Amino acid sequence: MDRFPSIVLAAAFGCFAISMLLSALYPWAITDAKQPEASIADVAANITEEFAELKRAYPVSFRQKLGDAAAAADAPLEAMQAAHAEALQRGRDLYIGEGCWHCHSQFVRPVANEEARFGHIRTPAEENNALQRPVLWGTRRVGPDLTNEGGKRSNDWHVAHLHNPRSTSPGSVMPGYTWYFREGFQVFRRIDPNKAEVAGIDPDTAYPYPGLYDTEEEARAALETIKANLDPTVAEEGDRLFVREAVGPDGDALCIIAYLQWLGTWFPEKPTEE
Amino acid sequence: MSEAAAISIDDVRDEAHPLVDKDLVRWHLIAAVFFMFTAMLGGFIASLQFLNEYPFNGISWLSYGRLRFLHTNEVAFGFLVNSFVGMLYYAVPRLTGRRLFNRTLGWLIFFVWQALVLLTSIGQLLGKAQAVEWGETPTGFRPGTFELNYVPVDFLIEVGAVLLAVNLLYPIAKSIHKRLYVSLWYITAGMIWLILTYVMGNTLPEWTLAGSSGGATAGLYIHDLVGLFVTPFGWGLMYFFVPIILRKPIWSHALSVIGFWALAFFYPLNGVHHFLYSSIPMSVQYGAIIATIAVEIVVTTVVVNFFGTMWGRGYALRQSIPIRWFYTGMVFYFTTCLQCSFQTTLTFQEIIHFTDWVPGHAHLVMLGVFAFWNMGMIVWLWPRLTGHEWYSRRLLGWHYWLVMLGLLIMFLDLTAAGLVHGFMFKNMAPWMRIVDSLKPFWWFRTFAGAMIITGVSCFIYNLWMTAKHDKPYDYRVDLVHDPKEAIANG
Ligand code: HEC
Ligand code: HEM
Repeated sequence: MDRFPSIVLAAAFGCFAISMLLSALYPWAITDAKQPEASIADVAANITEEFAELKRAYPVSFRQKLGDAAAAADAPLEAMQAAHAEALQRGRDLYIGEGCWHCHSQFVRPVANEEARFGHIRTPAEENNALQRPVLWGTRRVGPDLTNEGGKRSNDWHVAHLHNPRSTSPGSVMPGYTWYFREGFQVFRRIDPNKAEVAGIDPDTAYPYPGLYDTEEEARAALETIKANLDPTVAEEGDRLFVREAVGPDGDALCIIAYLQWLGTWFPEKPTEE
Repeated sequence: MSEAAAISIDDVRDEAHPLVDKDLVRWHLIAAVFFMFTAMLGGFIASLQFLNEYPFNGISWLSYGRLRFLHTNEVAFGFLVNSFVGMLYYAVPRLTGRRLFNRTLGWLIFFVWQALVLLTSIGQLLGKAQAVEWGETPTGFRPGTFELNYVPVDFLIEVGAVLLAVNLLYPIAKSIHKRLYVSLWYITAGMIWLILTYVMGNTLPEWTLAGSSGGATAGLYIHDLVGLFVTPFGWGLMYFFVPIILRKPIWSHALSVIGFWALAFFYPLNGVHHFLYSSIPMSVQYGAIIATIAVEIVVTTVVVNFFGTMWGRGYALRQSIPIRWFYTGMVFYFTTCLQCSFQTTLTFQEIIHFTDWVPGHAHLVMLGVFAFWNMGMIVWLWPRLTGHEWYSRRLLGWHYWLVMLGLLIMFLDLTAAGLVHGFMFKNMAPWMRIVDSLKPFWWFRTFAGAMIITGVSCFIYNLWMTAKHDKPYDYRVDLVHDPKEAIANG
């Protein structure tokens, strides 16, 4: 061992240590050390409007992924918060596993008109939460920045876009994530033929009701419930209800969308001055 | 020195007990070439996504995002690690006069390493990647819970790297020479840095540091993997192979020592330059910018040293294909680093960050420098490992020109695309307008990729046929010589 160049070892360990000191420990000490990291429960406490809407629009997928407690119409706030936390965690994991972060940044810079284009610039305190560990800033923007994506688009837009980006953004080079969609049966209502004629719309046009069921029987049962609950003044609409095969987001897709809708909506509490 | 040379040459001649385990070297190179090809194929397929010509739409495990993980990770851990390890198994015993610590351990590491690279790729295709760029190796469990959801590849790679260090550092520690040649400085430090960097990058950003300080360490990891693992091994091996092939010592040993120390000191301070204008404190960002510009000075000393060595031996570029690969790589190295010192400034960052400029830069350094050097070293070693003359020296030329021109086209094309993107972006063009404007550039990238893959296919075919046929290799054909003297001697 006597001939081993201890000076090389010193170079290796010493220089590495200096770099850790200057570019890890020091920035940590003057930013994140000053306040604890926000947990997922903290950031999920404020339930976004879109998350509640996802539950109403896709009740079956929602229940399958996030459980009965939160799926109930009158679910208590705590159950919804827990489901929101779970959805954010899962959505974030999928965002990582699919490599969305290699095409989208979460990092608005104070230059190149980025504030005008993408909005609010995050402060260190706003970055310091469990969903940013590992940090998802990204280094490449094939698609736009998603820092403040929450609330920018409707859930329906996201569903259509996630299934086939070309349907909402012609020419887009983003992949379609069809494997987060499932096939099933859904209740539809054909539009009023008279109105269709007046407005010049294809009379076969039909609008879906929430709920994509795994079997035709379940969908028929849902149809009967809808029919039974129709307002008497529009009872004749019940005749235009029908069941057909359809494709809709599964629970994972809901989690991705819940995550996208959450982005940019959470702000830490201001530290109390002493 | 003469005593040492005598020992190593005797050992090489001792068939039963060779100094260099050629089988081990050869198999590492075979694995390297295999992963180089699959990684490039992955990159090529990924590039089709940008043209909306993707062949695997709707197949989750072959989708763009997951294939991109495979591309960069197989390049780093499948191609470069295997190739470097093979070369080190060849160079270190020759530089120290000692065998590896243990031959069986060498084979164990070989098989375990290939399994880990495959497990990394499979995990990524299954969507289990970790969100650390270039360190997307699956962790296998969520930090804090320890419930396994996949093989804990991260951890196993750390164990593998330590075993590798034992195997390689042992002969260095027991070297028969009193003073260590500069290659061994780089190799020793590189081995230690590989372990430290990997552990740091795969624990801090995911386990402890969120947000901006996590970003600082993630940047450090991306940078250290290039600067503290790939670069020291690359230069260490250049200091070994170039003097051998040119048959003259390195120009200045003083410069090589300066180069080593400056790399050790300045390179790891660069990490934060990947996230300029971020919420990392500005003082840290300025520090990284200054250190990055300082690296350019380091690089100049090293490159000057190698061109000084080349002085008077220019004909070697024509005679020796390995030298051609090495020196092309060095020109690109200088270009990349010059580019670094500009693009790290805030002025450049504003425009080029987040654009195709960055992959242009990444391909210039990873392919144009380090892959070139490794290919050159493989060209030099392959006839020596198999004992066979090249099947076709013409194909070696095709390999060089196709890959070199392909890379040049890819680099210029992506750089231009980056500028178009950056300025359209700043001028508030709608996003889809930007995407549409970039599509012609993306077609060129795919075309350049096809050139590179064709070149590499020539190479693989050539390697295969050389291993198979039986014309013995005469090393004298590869000796560089002054053409004027050859004429004078008749
Ligand atoms: C190949 C790169 C690529 C990948 C991978 C990718 N995207 Fe995109 N994304 C784009 C492009 C390009 C656009 C802009 C055109 C469009 O709207 O489709 C976009 C747009 C978007 C938008 C709309 C932003 C807005 O408000 O205008 C969202 C949301 C989005 N992507 C989410 C995702 C998610 C979630 C993933 C991962 C599951 C993902 N993207 C993966 C390229 C990509
Ligand atoms: C056939 C040739 C190749 C093609 C077509 C190709 C294609 C690609 C594509 C499409 C990307 C994603 C870029 C983006 O996110 O915009 C990429 C990234 C990358 N490739 Fe390749 N590649 C090739 C060869 C290589 C080789 C040989 C290496 C290294 C030795 C390499 C190293 C990298 C690296 C480091 C990145 C990450 C770049 C970044 O995000 O900044 N590639 N490549």
